[in-house]
Amino acid sequence: MTANLLAVLDALPYLLQGGLVTIGLVVGAMGLGLVLGVPFAVGQVYGLPWVRRVIGFYVWFFRGVPLLVLLFLFYFGLFSLMNINLSAFAAALIVLGLISAAYQSQIFRGAILSLPEGQFKAAKALGMSDTRAILFVVLPQALRLSLPGWSNEYSIVLKDSAVAYALGVAEVMARSHFVASRTYYHMPLYFTAGLIFLCLTYFGTRGLRMLEEKVKIHGYSR
Amino acid sequence: MAEKGPVLRAEGLSKQYGARQVLRGVSLSVNEGDLKVLIGPSGAGKSTLLQCINFLVLPDKGQVFLDGREILHTRRKELCAYRQKVGMIFQDFNLFDHLTALGNVEIGLTRVRSMKKGAARERAVMELERVGLGEHAGKYPAQLSGGQKQRVSIARALAMDPKVMLLDEPTSALDPELITEVLSVIRNLVSEGMTMIIATHQIGFAGDLANEIIFMEDGAIVEQGPPAKILTRADCERTREFCSKITSPYGESR
Amino acid sequence: MEEIFFIQEVVPALLRGLLVSIQLIIPSAVAGLVIGIGVGGLRVYGQRWVAGLADGYVAIFRGFPLVVQLFIWYFGLPHIGIYLTPFMASVIGFSLCSGAYHSEYVRGAFLSIRRGQFHAAQALGFSRFGMIRSIVLPQALRLALPGCGNEIIYLIKYSSLAYMITCIELTGEGKIIASNTFKYMEIFLIIGAAYLILTSVAGSLLHRLEKRLRLPGFEHYSR
Repeated sequence: MTANLLAVLDALPYLLQGGLVTIGLVVGAMGLGLVLGVPFAVGQVYGLPWVRRVIGFYVWFFRGVPLLVLLFLFYFGLFSLMNINLSAFAAALIVLGLISAAYQSQIFRGAILSLPEGQFKAAKALGMSDTRAILFVVLPQALRLSLPGWSNEYSIVLKDSAVAYALGVAEVMARSHFVASRTYYHMPLYFTAGLIFLCLTYFGTRGLRMLEEKVKIHGYSR
Repeated sequence: MAEKGPVLRAEGLSKQYGARQVLRGVSLSVNEGDLKVLIGPSGAGKSTLLQCINFLVLPDKGQVFLDGREILHTRRKELCAYRQKVGMIFQDFNLFDHLTALGNVEIGLTRVRSMKKGAARERAVMELERVGLGEHAGKYPAQLSGGQKQRVSIARALAMDPKVMLLDEPTSALDPELITEVLSVIRNLVSEGMTMIIATHQIGFAGDLANEIIFMEDGAIVEQGPPAKILTRADCERTREFCSKITSPYGESR
Repeated sequence: MEEIFFIQEVVPALLRGLLVSIQLIIPSAVAGLVIGIGVGGLRVYGQRWVAGLADGYVAIFRGFPLVVQLFIWYFGLPHIGIYLTPFMASVIGFSLCSGAYHSEYVRGAFLSIRRGQFHAAQALGFSRFGMIRSIVLPQALRLALPGCGNEIIYLIKYSSLAYMITCIELTGEGKIIASNTFKYMEIFLIIGAAYLILTSVAGSLLHRLEKRLRLPGFEHYSR
């Protein structure tokens, strides 16, 4: 028992450094997903038919193909074809981000659609252009409503980031396997890796919950 | 009235929730064809009493007798058989959301009384027509009004051929204009001789039809007697106070 | 020349992989659903300590990444003497992981059923078993269907992770061929398309099933 514990403690700093890599992947992916997801959602709700079709295809593709397949497709296929030399970390971040954008766009779209029609109408009645109405009336509310769904997406992306190991990214999972195959303490090391992910999930969702409280619109119950 | 004993008899029912004594040794009995009405302020224990009678709430003390036989709630099969003979109507209707009106009435027949589908359907249609909802048989609860839902729940209970019906504030959750349709169904049942105990705020209705009015407060029966007496010249101060407040100034809707 | 090579070597290999994928997905989906229903039921209706254990199981299997879970089953168990084949480890891993997610939806479904209906059923004389069969299950099924259906679609996708513990299914076959031929784009576009077809068909089946079972009053539950 103590041998197990010592093995884990020995490896812990190394694993925790992997945690930083994981955090980097997740923050980058969620950010990319946000930057793409909001415009996609707006496009799907307010855009012209062809825009909606294109975005719909994007969402269908990136939600239908497995993460692992996309990682191989982009890293070994697309990027080398385009002669882009990206590190495994960058490639994984981009793929995770593109996938998250597909899911996030649906979260935001749902939130926008759940707003009463009257909100947009009132904005237009005041003389706002479509763009301003969306920017200053629709999105502030929709983004707040999206927080629970976004928090859920965060925990999914966090767990998916472990698959980056397949490209050789030195995140938590990769490191725990690296140490385990040399020291043979598989079980305790993987458990520790799992616990690190649990902690990251817990603190992340708590932080998002606090953010939810901070930006909450009082009296607005859903 | 009859030579044989009361159809339903409850003795000394008591129930405590935490520190609150909700029922204090309440006893009552009903003979065949009786209509007894429970009145009293909120929290008096009327609902709890009715739910203790069919053991939806387990009383701490007391006994219940149907046709002279004591009902032991520990015997599962006996309890289920007993409940088939005692119909209950809830304030919130409690229709089964996934079944049509017809389905709601049928399910007790097919799944509890093990009737064959054809016979069950026929009976169910008959009961729905009896409460005036024949054309709505195919509708789901989500598509029915409050009054219609309550009438379906009455049909559902009647299909089981109960000996006694317990109605727990059947019209309290209804919009005023929907109360009449439910009351008229209940009136018909009374004229057909159904034995009933009703907890209600509809005093005018109670005064018209009841054999006996039972006034409860704080978990105990304060006074009981014929409507004429209780509503206008009750013995107890408290009863008079309560009744005067509820019979005026608006009178009660029919 | 290349085309012949392609058809003779690649297609059979991919089909082999696809077969393994399907052999992974079906048992895992069924087992996961059964586990989910059982655990969901225990979490809502079970005694305190049982519900607590069930909650613990769900917290761990939803909290640990699936990759970590698979590694534990395949690389970790041998150290306590249990040797699983990559296939077995994958099926066990997928079943237990998706079971935890299914139990969330099942639990939500059970909790959504309005309690008054239980009282009405009891008042009519339903036994507990009869109540579960005639009142609870028909409603819970409709309420849990969208969530559980989506979870199965996720399973189709993450079956590809079996590759990471050396179970060679569709993705694994593709990686092997692509590493030998360097035709990554073509191979993985084909594989991607295969998964797209699988998930789209599953999605459409789910949609049709939801439509068939839809009842007035239950629409607002479908997400």
